[in-house]
Amino acid sequence: MSEAERIREAAREVVFKLVGHPVSDDEGLISGGLIDSLAIIRMISELESKLGKPIPTDSLQPDDFDTIEIIVETVKRVTQPAP
Amino acid sequence: MAFNSYTYLLFLALAVYLFWQAPKSWRGPYLLVVSLVYYATCNVSFVALPLAMGLGVYLISRRILAQPKPHKGWMRLGIVLALAVLGFFKYRVFFLDSLNAVTSQFRLPTLAVAGALVLPVGVSFYTFECIAYLIDTAQGRVGKPSLRNLSNFLVFWPNLTAGPILRARELIPQFSFEKEFEFKFLVAGLDRFIWGLVQKSVFADPLGSWVDEGFTTGRTLSTLDGWFLAVAFGLQIYFDFAGYSNMAIGTAQMLGIKLPENFRYPYHASSPSDFWSRWHMTLTRWIRDYLFFPINTRFRGAPLPLYLSLVGTMALVGLWHGAGWGFILWGALHGLYMVFYRVAEAFVEARRRQPATLKFWTPLWSLFTLLAVTAAWVPFRAHRISRTWAIWKSMFLGFSWGTGFAPRFYLVSLLLVLFCALEPYLMSLVKKVDVAVSSHPRLPLPAVITIRFAIYCCGLLGFMILNQREVQFIYSQF
Repeated sequence: MSEAERIREAAREVVFKLVGHPVSDDEGLISGGLIDSLAIIRMISELESKLGKPIPTDSLQPDDFDTIEIIVETVKRVTQPAP
Repeated sequence: MAFNSYTYLLFLALAVYLFWQAPKSWRGPYLLVVSLVYYATCNVSFVALPLAMGLGVYLISRRILAQPKPHKGWMRLGIVLALAVLGFFKYRVFFLDSLNAVTSQFRLPTLAVAGALVLPVGVSFYTFECIAYLIDTAQGRVGKPSLRNLSNFLVFWPNLTAGPILRARELIPQFSFEKEFEFKFLVAGLDRFIWGLVQKSVFADPLGSWVDEGFTTGRTLSTLDGWFLAVAFGLQIYFDFAGYSNMAIGTAQMLGIKLPENFRYPYHASSPSDFWSRWHMTLTRWIRDYLFFPINTRFRGAPLPLYLSLVGTMALVGLWHGAGWGFILWGALHGLYMVFYRVAEAFVEARRRQPATLKFWTPLWSLFTLLAVTAAWVPFRAHRISRTWAIWKSMFLGFSWGTGFAPRFYLVSLLLVLFCALEPYLMSLVKKVDVAVSSHPRLPLPAVITIRFAIYCCGLLGFMILNQREVQFIYSQF
């Protein structure tokens, strides 16, 4: 399983747990009013424990976690080692 | 020049007409000039202030981006400078007065306080936009700045004096001005603008004199009058600010520019947190993105930092509204309401061992939110803590039912409460009727236009009858 797929699976599980029902990968979580910024913070902690690595949040905003697609991109971007 | 003035209606008609007549390449500079003319009519002495702040943000943004990795030192310097400007105009006297009150208690020397300066209109709004721009630049969310686009972003007249508070990334891309004129821009803009005018002149302003009377005179109120007064101010500020926001959004729509929504039926909130996702939504978004989220991701949502940050950030939201303890108390109260809600949520979650939704309790939370938000309007409007206590005392202690206002006050307040309760359903109905009428196969286009024109005339007539004096927008004072 590629890194992106691993993140996607983890994100789907965490989002399902937070929202309480399955959500499509492009459905807005904050913009659609499904969860608030506090749930995003909880999501980050749960993703960290599922992926087994820290997610640096220095330059992130809640919009960076608005859909499962965006979560995958964000987590990939901030956790990949600097070139 | 307030949006609810005849001068503005003329200004708007001319500005929109010339905008669509101008060649596309001229529209950017044209908007900048028109925005500055508009700002000059609000306060000519400070017309250079947003431009100077824009220049400062432009230079600092270039420095941030000039480093191989975005430089947060420059970003911090920019934020400090922006806050210094805001502090100088808005908070200097308040802080010195508060400091002197403390030092005089300990018989220490006090500092001389020069007279309060005139507050540049909209300074709280464009300062927050400057800060957002600097943070977004350091986070790589906006590219190399253009001085003209940045200036246009900060002084764009529809939202210059009282928001919505914008992000550069949602407005600047719209400054490419590729769109051709479409009749639907005018229709959508007029719909919003005239509805805003009605909310302001027909709904909000008639309550103003009674609210002023109740809050500023020192008379004793009965329990009934205390609650009616708090409810009336809650209605006045809602229709005043939602009206302004609709007029701002409508003005921008006439230019083919989309601004974010600022209100979503706030008195229908299901919790204190939900209230802030419906009230002044662009301020909530700013606080969430640039204050609340960075603090709480650092602590990964741990309870104590979370609760402290809720009260702290909301107290700052209060201070942002105005330099006074009444505003700070209002904000801190909202923070405490949210802490209460979060504690209850955590309690339910711990018992059920799954994320809490508190759905079972929603009607009770809605009622609590409505009453708590209404009670919190008292310090916001009373400004003075002594008057706040007096009104709260009448609301929560004593229980007397006398009526001291004119009968019309109670009638108007109750009608507006009823309207607020039905507003989402009425708006949905209006949309359905609009779609049905506009697309009705048997109704010819001239008839559709006539119906719409008649509705606009009714709105404007209400404005002309009730707008005897131009009542200032409450939020344009912040």
